Amino acid sequence: MGTTYSKEEILAQQLQTAFEHLITEVVRKDTVFAFATKEQVSSILLYAKEKLGYISFVHLSCVDWLESGEFELVYIIWSPETKINLFVKTRLDRENPSMENTDMIWRQINTYQREIREMFGVEFPGFVGEKEFILEDWEDAPPMRRDFDTLEYVNDTFFEREGREDKQDVRERIAKRSGEEIPDFAKKYSRE
Amino acid sequence: MSFFDLKGLLRPLTGLSQFGKNPHTKRMDVLGQDTADRYRGFHYNDLNACIGCGNCSTICMNEAIDMVELAAEFNISQDKGNSGLRPRVDYGRCCWCALCVDVCPTGSLNLTKEYDYVSPDANSFLWTPGVDNPYGKDQLSFTSSVETSLMNFERIPMRELEGTERVKSFAEVVLGYNEEEARAEASRCISCSLCTEVCPDHMHIPEYINAIAKGNDDDALRIIYDNNPLPEMCGKVCTRRCEDVCAIAVRGEAVAIRWLKRYATERAQTSDLIKEIVNPEIQEANGYKVGIIGAGPSGLTAAYYLALRGFDVTVFEAKRFGGGMTMYGIPKYRLPMDSLDKQIGYLQKIGVKINFNTRVGTDITFDEIYKKHDAVFIGIGFEKPWKLGVEGEDLENSIPAVEYLRMINNEEIFDVGKKVVVIGGGNVAIDGARVAARHNAEVTILYRRRVEDMPADWEEIEGAEDEGVHIHPQAIPVRIIADESGKKVKAIEYIEAEMVAEEGARPRPVPIEGSNKIIEVDTIIGAIGQEADYSFISEEYVNKIELNRGRIVTNDQQQTSDAKIFAGGDAVNRTADAISAIADGFRAVKGIEAMLLKTKK
Repeated sequence: MGTTYSKEEILAQQLQTAFEHLITEVVRKDTVFAFATKEQVSSILLYAKEKLGYISFVHLSCVDWLESGEFELVYIIWSPETKINLFVKTRLDRENPSMENTDMIWRQINTYQREIREMFGVEFPGFVGEKEFILEDWEDAPPMRRDFDTLEYVNDTFFEREGREDKQDVRERIAKRSGEEIPDFAKKYSRE
Repeated sequence: MSFFDLKGLLRPLTGLSQFGKNPHTKRMDVLGQDTADRYRGFHYNDLNACIGCGNCSTICMNEAIDMVELAAEFNISQDKGNSGLRPRVDYGRCCWCALCVDVCPTGSLNLTKEYDYVSPDANSFLWTPGVDNPYGKDQLSFTSSVETSLMNFERIPMRELEGTERVKSFAEVVLGYNEEEARAEASRCISCSLCTEVCPDHMHIPEYINAIAKGNDDDALRIIYDNNPLPEMCGKVCTRRCEDVCAIAVRGEAVAIRWLKRYATERAQTSDLIKEIVNPEIQEANGYKVGIIGAGPSGLTAAYYLALRGFDVTVFEAKRFGGGMTMYGIPKYRLPMDSLDKQIGYLQKIGVKINFNTRVGTDITFDEIYKKHDAVFIGIGFEKPWKLGVEGEDLENSIPAVEYLRMINNEEIFDVGKKVVVIGGGNVAIDGARVAARHNAEVTILYRRRVEDMPADWEEIEGAEDEGVHIHPQAIPVRIIADESGKKVKAIEYIEAEMVAEEGARPRPVPIEGSNKIIEVDTIIGAIGQEADYSFISEEYVNKIELNRGRIVTNDQQQTSDAKIFAGGDAVNRTADAISAIADGFRAVKGIEAMLLKTKK
């Protein structure tokens, strides 16, 4: 008797056979991760679509790994035969992030690339799409980047509605009620 | 086909034959389309479950949420542990990200299915959830649960010695957090500061925890020393009422405030290091002298902050070591000697003079202290144990717990024998039991009420049980039986009790007739309470100081009815714990400063 493999393991092996040094991980039932270099991504997507039956494009998203100085692009594709969600993940340098245009494999990717370009500032050289997606006349840093200070932007941009003047600070109120005197050098650790 | 097709023209008119008849079809009911399960519509806040921590307001990246005081008709709790404020949302700014729900520690704030509201007045979009939409509680949709919440409800566990290992020695039971554990535990704090109000000393808890979370232990120590000069002691044995009101504790385990304080203070391993890190500003001598009676927590606190403010401070302590009850009443496996040494050593380095082995009334008269100093602070504590009030309690081998603990801590020898009965349910009783267990005795605690009524810390009770101490609740001692010589304890008779509910009071234990039992014992340790001993104060002064039920009466700055005498600690406050004593000492400093420095001007 030979060893039986799950459909997820079979997919992982198919990908590893076709692509050198590709790391795959069977995460759970119906979910497989493939960690690719950015050069491999378009080949993997095309191979999975044409040869393995992963004909459905589900999602493209971006994760900001601020601490390690990287963006991660996650392409999720699906096969109606195996019912497996294949996650193709790749990391980009956070300085000048750019990724190959893949909207000729699935036309829908065009929209996702527009969104990621606007929200994270990841460039897709060679791809044609409207520069603006949701934001209008945006000149600030891409707003979904984690180092974008949303609160500061909000306070600079919007005025405060009338009737909000009676708001109170919880820390100040408690200190006042109990007669606590917070020393100045400690205040930088108080809640903002 | 002819041009004029009569048949074709008339055929549609055949439909008219159905005119006026009932239709064959049925009208379909109009179904209201329900919103999605986790739809994020307007907020709903359960006003009574909310504690006003303001975490929703802090997380909101659109600054849409304000914390406001509501009208009196809503009866918002203003108790300690509740800021009395409630969130109000500006829907012109809200983007329905629902982070406010995900970080609500109590789970009172949720989103509802309701999403349509139309008004020509833009300013009417300012809603106080729960007030403006009381019906929202039936439309909850995006709710907060312990599983989905972004709050971290689980405490980093504290490493301890095993129970069987503990009873072999007086080694410290709690091992303390390491750096990694402390940072992780500190980052669970949401800095709401509700705890500071419950702390008798109002320590700056969110600030020092935040300093630890940010990796700045030195700043944490400086913040801690701002109003507590014995923090390592508190870090080990504080009654930590702060943790009872912790916002995280509503649905999870409170932030380990006490262990974090312990971590920060243990980073400074010698008194020189404390001095180097805290580096307090010591004001120039102002020429005033203050005498302090008792080197317990209240006296040492007053001494430290007076010394920093330029007063000439002398402490008179009857015993060999400072620390008061924390030195003589707390077993060394909870508060090791070198820890107290380090903390008191630091106070001495700042300029506090402590005269040990100087009992006021014997070695020096109260009159002398009163006349030589510009102000006197009395921090004498409760040293005199209450009598059990049963026959035979004066026999040999029947000893009050405070006396027993004092002897053991003073390295004197007291043989408890093989079988020990401890009477009482407070921390002193548990301490007595656990110390006796460390001397290879089989220990039983008799307590008149139930285990859950015990005033002792639950951790202490658990610790005692781990170490093999047997707790016999609802047992009232009746008499102590002497052996043949009539001098030593042989056995104790007790009667079992049932709990009778009483209106407006906690249940009262009532003895069950005929349930008397006798157990043989070698030693009986009584721990049912203590009181103060004022015999050292000469009569002319005693009459000037107002007492109430054995406690000294003071104003809010710890001043007694004699303007020159201040008092604090167990002999003054009702809570009788170390942190309240420290708070008393700290307040007295302000009182003494106000009295002496203002009269000068």
